[in-house]
Amino acid sequence: MLRRNIRLRREYLYRKSLEGKERLLYEKKRKIKEALEEGKPIPTELRNEEAALRQEIDLEDNYTSIPKTHIDDEYANATVRDPKILLTTSRDPSAPLIQFVKELKFVFPNAERMNRGGQVISEIIESCRAHEFTDVILVHEHRGIPDGLIISHLPFGPTAYFGLLNVVTRHDIKDKKAIGTMPEAYPHLILDNFKTKLGERTANILKHLFPVPKPDTKRIVTFANRSDYISFRHHIYEKPGGPKSVELKEIGPRFELRLYQVKLGTMEQSEAQIEWVIRPYMNTTKKRSFIGNEPEPDDKRKRNKA
Amino acid sequence: MIPSAMASSTETALESLHHIKSTEPPEWLVPKQELSQAVRAASKLLFSSLKPYCPKSPFDQLLTEGFDVEQIWQQIDLQSQPLLSSLRREVKKFEKHPEKISKLKDGGVGGGEKKKKVLEQIETDNVVNDDEDDDDMDMDEDEDDEEEEDEEGEEEEKERGTEEESENEGEEKGGIEDKFLKIKELQEYLEEDEAREFGLKKKKTKAESKKEEEDTEEEGDDDDEEDENEGSEDDDDEAEEEEDELGLFDGNDEEDEDGLENARYEDFFSRKKNKSSKEKAKSRDMLEEDSGSDDEQDVDKRKDGPSKHEKELDKLRSKIEEMEKANLDPKVWTMRGEVTAAQRQKNSALEVDLDFEHNVRPAPVITEEVTASLEDLIKTRISEGLFDDVQKARTSSSKAPREIKELDESKSKKGLAEVYEEEFVQKTDPASALLTFSDELKKEASMLFKKLCLKLDALSHFHFTPKPVVEDMSIQTNVPALAMEEIAPMAVSDAAMLAPEEVFSGKGDIKEEAELTKAERKRRRANKKRKFKAEAAKRMGKKARQMTTVGNNDEGREG
Repeated sequence: MLRRNIRLRREYLYRKSLEGKERLLYEKKRKIKEALEEGKPIPTELRNEEAALRQEIDLEDNYTSIPKTHIDDEYANATVRDPKILLTTSRDPSAPLIQFVKELKFVFPNAERMNRGGQVISEIIESCRAHEFTDVILVHEHRGIPDGLIISHLPFGPTAYFGLLNVVTRHDIKDKKAIGTMPEAYPHLILDNFKTKLGERTANILKHLFPVPKPDTKRIVTFANRSDYISFRHHIYEKPGGPKSVELKEIGPRFELRLYQVKLGTMEQSEAQIEWVIRPYMNTTKKRSFIGNEPEPDDKRKRNKA
Repeated sequence: MIPSAMASSTETALESLHHIKSTEPPEWLVPKQELSQAVRAASKLLFSSLKPYCPKSPFDQLLTEGFDVEQIWQQIDLQSQPLLSSLRREVKKFEKHPEKISKLKDGGVGGGEKKKKVLEQIETDNVVNDDEDDDDMDMDEDEDDEEEEDEEGEEEEKERGTEEESENEGEEKGGIEDKFLKIKELQEYLEEDEAREFGLKKKKTKAESKKEEEDTEEEGDDDDEEDENEGSEDDDDEAEEEEDELGLFDGNDEEDEDGLENARYEDFFSRKKNKSSKEKAKSRDMLEEDSGSDDEQDVDKRKDGPSKHEKELDKLRSKIEEMEKANLDPKVWTMRGEVTAAQRQKNSALEVDLDFEHNVRPAPVITEEVTASLEDLIKTRISEGLFDDVQKARTSSSKAPREIKELDESKSKKGLAEVYEEEFVQKTDPASALLTFSDELKKEASMLFKKLCLKLDALSHFHFTPKPVVEDMSIQTNVPALAMEEIAPMAVSDAAMLAPEEVFSGKGDIKEEAELTKAERKRRRANKKRKFKAEAAKRMGKKARQMTTVGNNDEGREG
């Protein structure tokens, strides 16, 4: 088991190292393809290798022509098997936090909740790897209000650190009858406005927490990005009057996620490379949106254009 | 008023004054009934003694029974206020025309000698006065009670009053001196002033600070004023004396109050050596203060009301000085660059309105509109069926698909031996393997395709490629050509069909003569001979038979 892990890790690192060369090759092939399509002469630096490369281009298919990054490799097997999630908290959780984690357990299908006790993070992750978990989610709090979420994908996968804002839990709504029970079917997903590279990455991370659903489930989980704050909503829908009318009923907790770090290793690997970290003291932070596109301000500019 | 009654009252008042003088300073700290009575009597006396100098005062006597401190004060004030203004006028006059004073002086005395005498007398009087003054000063500094202060002030004033009266009685300078101008007091003052200038300076600073507090907060102005004071003091000494007396009211009060504020050890328990000088200094201070306050008024009045331009200039100057001062001072902490908590006062940041520029977008407030917009988005997505679910990935084949061998259940037409034969052929002659397609369908398909390609090539290419050689195995029937072309089938013997070489079964002489060995040659020759002999024998036999038949005929001839 240990040796297997070591071997896998070495493979992963090797593939990561090859990435550079592959990218070069891909670039060259792409240039040749372009030149051929447009009918332009092939760039001079590629003349020598042109024949071999052209042969390779001819033999390629959709699957092989895209350069694979090690980043995507992390989720290569994700679609094959259903995700298995472990939910736990920071140490000494308060009662509201425990309730929140219980709710989250119902939100993610195939999730297990575990008491934290006095375990160390590295222990938790080791045991999860051994038991073939795919993701670990840690929830942090501040005086009863959940304020942090860490999603770590397991074999070597990326870790995303979120801050939680405006948390409304099901327990806040006291009336049990009004809320009802929570359905546990695999939900449909809606991911809105994840346009940039980082946005795609985040969308990937969030997407692969859920398994492949049946096409006719009534449960919807929404992650909507508005100016770098991702809103999480959980609904059940009904179509009472034909296919076009839709009635939504909100169930489950509701919160805003704010991504502040993505690391390229698991939670316990403190030396892992940081893929992206928020920089609030940069002068242009206010003007930039890192996860998605800003909605066009529909004011003077548009009116002037029209 | 009845003189006897006056006399008795004055006596009692004087007694009370002496009593007051004799009490120890600490006793004044606690309000005592008898002391206050004594003081009231004394103040009454003083008031009435001053009465002749104030024609306008409404009171004949100071009314003290049943009256409050404030009310007594008010009465005294009423008496003294009108006097002050008139005195100021007189003093200013003398300021402007100092020669008048000297004229008055000279005229009265009639020569320097008399002046000297006067001076000497004044000096002796000064000593007396000083001693009396000393006592007064002592009393002054110890006051806590306001009422008592006031009384003391009045008492001192009373002393001055007595002085004056004595002086008045003693000397008449005829014309120069009137109730305002006292040469003696002038001399006293001059000497004190000189002593002060050349002598002790520390009391001066005290007075200066007091003046600063009283007048302005600007050092420059203070200096100016002091200079003014010093200058004017020299000029206006005589005129000030009367004013001093009354100014002593204010001055004393001020002095007393300030004395209280700045009460020091030295004031209470001063060493004997410096006592007198200090007293002198104090008296000087008091006089100086009074003169100072007087001087201000004098200065103002000298200008005859400053003109507008001068007022503006003054304003400007004061502004400039303010700004200069602000520039020289260390800056306020809000104006300094980076300030930590240790460098500013405690809680000073609470008073200032601090403003920070936040570079992060604020957290979104979830309003009804936001929720409604989100729900709209969700509804549209649902109605369109556009979800971002995880797609099941098509498992890309790592191996080629296994060839599925179809099992034909009919009995195989080939015998087992033929199967082995085919395998052997395959192994030995790989070229023939082309013919063995495992899949019949594949074969058929490839045939069709080749035909099609041929046709297309024929249509499209200038250079026609001929039909590809299809190696086809067919059985060659060994039938003579004639038989093939004839329609009717014939029973054909194998012998006829075979080619001559096939006919030759290999019985004859196969080997060439060169190939033969000797033994074989001999054998052949032997065989040949035998055959020849056999044939010869056969011929002979035939001939014999012929001859017999014929010979029967011909036998006789030879024979």
